Order: sequence, then structure tokens, then C-alpha cells
Amino acid sequence: MSGRRFRQLLNARLAGVLLLALLTLSGCAATPRLAETTVQTLPRQVVIEGVPFHAQRDYQCGPASLAMVLNHEGVDVDVDALIPQVFIPGREGSVQPEMLAAVRRHGHVPFVLDNSFDALLTEIAAGHPVVVMQNLSLPAWPMWHYAVAIGYDLDAEEMILHSGEEAERSESFRRFDATWARSDRWAFVALKPGELPNGVSEQRALDAIATFEQAQSAEAALPAWVAFVERFPHSGMGYFALGNARHATGDHEGAVEAFRSSVAQRDDLGVAWLNLGLTLQAQGETNEARQALERAASLPGHWQTHATAALERL
Amino acid sequence: MKKLYRYLSPLLILALLLGSVSVSAAPVATGSGLVTTQAALSAERTDADRERIQEILSRADVQEQLIAQGVDLAEVDARVAALSDEEARQMADQLEQLPAGASAVGALLLVFVILLVTDILGLTNVFPFTR
Repeated sequence: MSGRRFRQLLNARLAGVLLLALLTLSGCAATPRLAETTVQTLPRQVVIEGVPFHAQRDYQCGPASLAMVLNHEGVDVDVDALIPQVFIPGREGSVQPEMLAAVRRHGHVPFVLDNSFDALLTEIAAGHPVVVMQNLSLPAWPMWHYAVAIGYDLDAEEMILHSGEEAERSESFRRFDATWARSDRWAFVALKPGELPNGVSEQRALDAIATFEQAQSAEAALPAWVAFVERFPHSGMGYFALGNARHATGDHEGAVEAFRSSVAQRDDLGVAWLNLGLTLQAQGETNEARQALERAASLPGHWQTHATAALERL
Repeated sequence: MKKLYRYLSPLLILALLLGSVSVSAAPVATGSGLVTTQAALSAERTDADRERIQEILSRADVQEQLIAQGVDLAEVDARVAALSDEEARQMADQLEQLPAGASAVGALLLVFVILLVTDILGLTNVFPFTR
């Protein structure tokens, strides 16, 4: 009798614990809040037209998602060609850095978005399909998944995604955000060089383009640097990068102009003075070159010794 | 003697790697002697020389790990070359822990039941039929 009672008590307690755990869990998941300014500026409903859908096979949600965004950008590549470029057989999946790397290999610049719902919807409204990483399961038994967000409906509070084997799937904001939050809201867009995401920070854009340039070429990155200095006209580093890209593509006069803009924005940027001096020297403008190199040699930092050596060779 | 080996072997490994790695770090200067954007950016951050060695090592490490994970030899070079320095370091340090998007979950009965409930609550999205 008392044994049965005890078991009943135990069962009741277990049920209570489970219920409590579930309540706590559901307490964490709420419909995501958007900033007031975002709500006012965004259209109520958006679906990006013409994003091709590729149903995933086996564990290939990574390559399938990549194919969708790249095809939408006009890159002619199919899932089968992307599998050997991102899939890791030993992990039976694709990891985030390699998703970005694959975008670079196909001549596009990957920008990881700010980890916010606002940034995601803003990019969709700008017509850019966004690759998102979700954990569809719980943190203890993760089920990592890539999908492509192609639209949203603020009134119905729904996301629209090309996901897995389903095209244009509707997912409530709440469920979507619960699964997306488990990847720290990781998302990226793949843009043509020359396009930038709306709210991207200066440093993030600088790094994204510099990495793209390293993986591709100065020629491929040149339009991206032009767009960068347009967006961030006070960035000394931006003009410096533009100068380098111009120089590498043979436009030495354009390079001098960009290096001058760079030091006009940041007089203490020794490396820009150094490259300005070296470019002028190669053009035979010895006097001007000397002035620039002297300035570079007077600035403490990593490039001071380079500048001093260049000055001695002059 | 043992002590000597301890110092010598990392150096030897480094020398071998530097000789054999086909993808190396981006050069500091171009043919014309100009400092590259990438070198300038990394110099702004930290001790650039140490980082360069670190980067070459981590890229070699990523290559090795990817091959061990079954990635095609012919693809490995291009895959590693398209990574940023930071991404290469991240992959070298924690390839095993990085989430790999695959949309598959280990199947256990208890897990099945819990996930079914969380699916219905709208916290997860494992089973399509719950929507």
C-alpha cells in the first residue's frame, strides 16, 4: 500500500518537474520584437520573386541553400557542383566558415548579418534572399539546418523560407526565432561586388571585402571598394584599400588619388603614406614621393621601418 | 639531449610545413613593393608576424583535418584558400565542435517524445506533421 502510494507520489513529482521544465522552455520563446524604426520603414509583406528552389537530399541542406542564393544572383551552379565544395563527409554536414568560403569562390561577397531579426527582415525587404542557420531541435540533441529566408508577413507574423524539401514554407515568427536563436541568429547574404547590406558596420564590411579580395583578385574586388568608400566616405582604410586595388589593376594615377584621399581622412595612417610614396616614386615624382615617405617614416608603428628603408633607397 | 629535441622538433615541423603547404598566407607586399590591404588590416590588430606563422600553421591543419574527414583531395586546396584568416583559425581549433548543417538528429525514443512535445509547443521544428 505504502509502496504504491510512494510510486504515485514519485510519478506526480516527475510529471511536475517535466511540466515545469517545459513551461520554462516555452517561456524563453516569444515572438521576436522589432525595433520601432524597423516596423515603420519595412513593407508589411515581402516575398522575393524568382528565388529558385532546390530540394535537399540526404544531408545536403548547405549546398542546396547555397545553390538557391547563388542562382538568384545569376551564378550558374548546381547543387551537385557545390557538394564537393562545402560538404564534409566525416561530419555529414557543412560548417559555417566553408559556406562563406564557397560564396567567395563563386565571385560573390558573403556578408554575415548582425545577429538580429531587424537585420534579417531588412535584407529580405531589400530583395536579398538570406541563408539562415537554425537548430530545429533542442540544444542537447542538435539538428543543425540551413534554409533560405525569402519573405515575411508582419501581419500574419510569418517567415517564408525555402527549407529542406519544402518551397515557400510558412513558419511562425515565434517558432522560426526559437530555432534560429540557437545558432545565435547566424545569417548571411551573398552579394555581387559593389553591393552592400543595408545596416552593415564599417569594420564588418571592410573585413568581408578584404577577405573576398584575398580569395579572388583585386580586379574582382574593385567595384566592392568603390561602393565601400561611397558608403563610408570617411574611412581612411577604405580609400587605402581602393588605392591598392586600383594599383593592382594598373590604374596607378587612380591609386595615387585614392591614397591621397586616404591620408586626407586619416593623417596618421602610416601605411597609406608609405604606399602613396612608393607609387609616386615609381611614377618618377621623386620630390612628392620623398615627402610622403618622410611622413610615413615619422609615424610610429608597424610600417615605420619599411618607410625608413624606402626613404634610404630613394 | 631530450631537451634539445623538444625545442628542435617544433621548428622542424614548422620548416617542413612551410615547405610543403601549397596554400600560404597572403604576401605582405605585392611585386611593386606596396603593402597589401590584408597585411595592413592584420597589422592594425595584433602582432602581425606571429599571426602570419600561426595562420600558415592553421591553414595546413585545416587541410589535414578536412582530408581526414573525407573531403576530396582535389578540392581541399581551393576550399582552404577561400577561407579568411579568422575562419581558418576557427576551423583549425574547433572543426569537431562547429555546428554542421545537416538537418538530421540522433533517434532515441525518449528524445523523440520530448521533441514531439516541444514541436507542438512551437519551440522546435523536427517533425513536419506537427505544424
